Amino acid sequence: MSGLFGDISRRDFMKYCASTAAVLGLSEIEFVSKVSEALAASSSKPPVVWLEGQDCAGCTISLAGALNPPVSKIILDKLSIRYHETIMASAGYLAEATLEETIKAGGHVLCVEGSIPTADDRFCMVGGRPFREILEESAEKASVIIAVGACATYGGIPAAGPTKGVGVGKIVKDKPVINLSTCPVHCDHLVGSILYYLATKTAPELDRYGRPRLYFNELVHDNCRRRYYFDEGYFLTDWNDPKQKNWCLYEKGCKGPDTYADCPVRQWNDGLNFCIDCGAGCMGCSEPSFYDGMSPLYTAESERSKNIMARKKAGLIPPKEKA
Amino acid sequence: MGKMVTVDPVTRIEGHLGITVEIEDGKVKDAWSSGTMARGFEALLEGRDPRDASFVTSRFCGVCYSVHQMASVRALDAAFGAEVPWGGTLLRNLAMGAEYIYDHILHFYHLSALDYIDIMAVAAYKGRDEDLNALKEKVVGLVKSKDTFPLTPRYKPDEFSVNDPDMVTSAVKHYIDALAMQAKARNMGAIFGGRQPHYQSIVVGGCTQYPDVNMVARYRTMLDEIAEFVNEVYIPDVLAFGTGPLFPLAKMGLGGGHYNYMSYGALELDKDGKEWVFPAGVINGLNPADIRVESFNPDHITESVKYGWYRENKPVHPYEGEQVFELDKEGAYTFIKAPRYDGKPMEVGPLARMLVAKNPDLMGLVEKGAKPGVVARHAARAIETKLLLDACYKWCDQLLSEMTQPGFKIHDTDHYEPPEEGEGAGFYEAPRGALGHWIKVKDRKIQNYQAVVPSTWNASPRCEKKYRGQYEESLIGAPVPDPDNPINVVRIIRSFDPCLACAIHLIDPQTNELKDFIVE
Repeated sequence: MSGLFGDISRRDFMKYCASTAAVLGLSEIEFVSKVSEALAASSSKPPVVWLEGQDCAGCTISLAGALNPPVSKIILDKLSIRYHETIMASAGYLAEATLEETIKAGGHVLCVEGSIPTADDRFCMVGGRPFREILEESAEKASVIIAVGACATYGGIPAAGPTKGVGVGKIVKDKPVINLSTCPVHCDHLVGSILYYLATKTAPELDRYGRPRLYFNELVHDNCRRRYYFDEGYFLTDWNDPKQKNWCLYEKGCKGPDTYADCPVRQWNDGLNFCIDCGAGCMGCSEPSFYDGMSPLYTAESERSKNIMARKKAGLIPPKEKA
Repeated sequence: MGKMVTVDPVTRIEGHLGITVEIEDGKVKDAWSSGTMARGFEALLEGRDPRDASFVTSRFCGVCYSVHQMASVRALDAAFGAEVPWGGTLLRNLAMGAEYIYDHILHFYHLSALDYIDIMAVAAYKGRDEDLNALKEKVVGLVKSKDTFPLTPRYKPDEFSVNDPDMVTSAVKHYIDALAMQAKARNMGAIFGGRQPHYQSIVVGGCTQYPDVNMVARYRTMLDEIAEFVNEVYIPDVLAFGTGPLFPLAKMGLGGGHYNYMSYGALELDKDGKEWVFPAGVINGLNPADIRVESFNPDHITESVKYGWYRENKPVHPYEGEQVFELDKEGAYTFIKAPRYDGKPMEVGPLARMLVAKNPDLMGLVEKGAKPGVVARHAARAIETKLLLDACYKWCDQLLSEMTQPGFKIHDTDHYEPPEEGEGAGFYEAPRGALGHWIKVKDRKIQNYQAVVPSTWNASPRCEKKYRGQYEESLIGAPVPDPDNPINVVRIIRSFDPCLACAIHLIDPQTNELKDFIVE
């Protein structure tokens, strides 16, 4: 157990940074040493402010599931977590004072979890103040802004409700926002993005929805292990039938052909499995149109699902070996 | 009038909560609990495919996601007329058992422990343990670099804070070890639950993950590792603290409340549902020497909106409720409604469950002089964790034997399509207490959806009869000698393991539609 608080190992970096290096045009070794230098050189750890708006804390819990590197190293060794309602020791005015001090000084990494209500500020108040105001103030001098999870990126489920929740980009318009969609955020996406920023002081390359290409460049469908069954037209209809166990989940509402995310390659739960592995279709939680545009989730009755089948029949989703 | 002190935000909880207390002569004289965030989940479910409900309501809370899924699919099972095969129930239970274990570990170490220890005592550690010395070096390093976030700032330790260097240093090490352990417990649940947080494979009629022997073997291996931590670290820590330096807090019964307790019951241990990990029952006005448990009747639940930001209405059963926003309502101070059982406020959660079950380990603590309150709540969580480990082993064995039976099933495929009409209630126990979901289906769509969640019970405001909510009542009399350092207030509130995002719900404020429900 020695090295309890030791540095994140080179192997850990490799895991997060291999594809990052390719994006930067560096060799892996060069990149890893660059990250290590950046972290070693900063005698003071980068301050982090983590705000929670209309959230469920699921993204925080997802981050707390990071085992490689472990979350304890991230929160105690690598970052200076100044404000995070779910983990910090302080409460009430002590917490508010720390937040105020940090955002006044500026230069912090701002992570936002949860959406911002636009129907009425009073749907989300923190310390007696509208969450929207706190977000605007915290964003002003932030060095980088990361929207964490479906709610903070594009509004997620609250966007479909009466509070009219929106993502950070709809409130903070004068600064780029790194959007890490999926519901909840994948801990690798978050840790990787923060490490990337610390190493390069720039945001990774983003797609047109503000998502890092690193993680959101390919369709779930294109890397799906059940792809063969989709191509051949074998669709699971009965979860009890062992013969159908690995068949395509289209009939059960899978939106993989319309969803950009690296879940089938990266997997979840420390590499254990992910939704499709467990017989549940992809819900499209990384897409800007989630949740409203993906509903209904567990059946192929939606317009989107019908559209997927129409495209398949028209040859617009060709079999993998021909793609 | 005493000095008014507000703690907002209350941190290290899930959600947005503000607590205001009136302090007189160094003690809490009155208290108000206020939920300060709403998302309108029930409203956005109206008109949707009912099968979306379990996925959406999982997002009530990212900490206890799976219990909402369970309450939701149980309501759907009833509304669809689905009969979950025993195989499907076992898969659900294995996924859920992991959830409780992770949640209780996380709550004790990561959400609560910092209220009870003086973390700077680590600097005074003089022992020879290599790991603990590495930890000491680390904390001293943080202090020297003047960057001890997020461990500081904090409320000042008081006379109840543990400052023994050995005890504190090993507790802080366990805090770090427990971070990995809670993550592993969640991964264990994900073997059958799908991705976590927010399981994907628990659906109306059963479960979508067709199991194989390797999955069970993997689950058991992970369970072994977690069981070792629970038996050798978590339970000994709770015992050492609860019967040691924190015993004065246990004896004074800090954070007692109304002494009414309720459990809906959950987690079948056999095919016929005769034996449960958590039995159902209600205790009205606890007498520790003679605990009387009444049977639970869902018809006795009502919700009051008198002090909530909702349109005025008389207290009604959740099936008959209307929730219409009124943000300018005079006298209102929270988004949380006030559920009552037979008109009375109830405490729900581990302490309630273990009292209703008359758990011998908890009774032993009571006999030693511990009164129901903050310490008893932490003890009840540890006891439950042990019960759940045993149950998880049992379910593994049952699944292995069930899997080999001819015609093994995990799902009721005949009842997967939504009915033209139907309604159902789903009762469950979340780690933090009794949880109920109610659904009404019409024309194959959701017509109305309601949830009464644990934190609604515990964090509720006053009602027509002026009964305070359980948080509010449990604060009365709590010592707060220094109004600038209300550490006992947060100890009490956090002992309930608040989960506020889920406590707040509303129905479409635009349509002002009256929701009529008929209880069968």
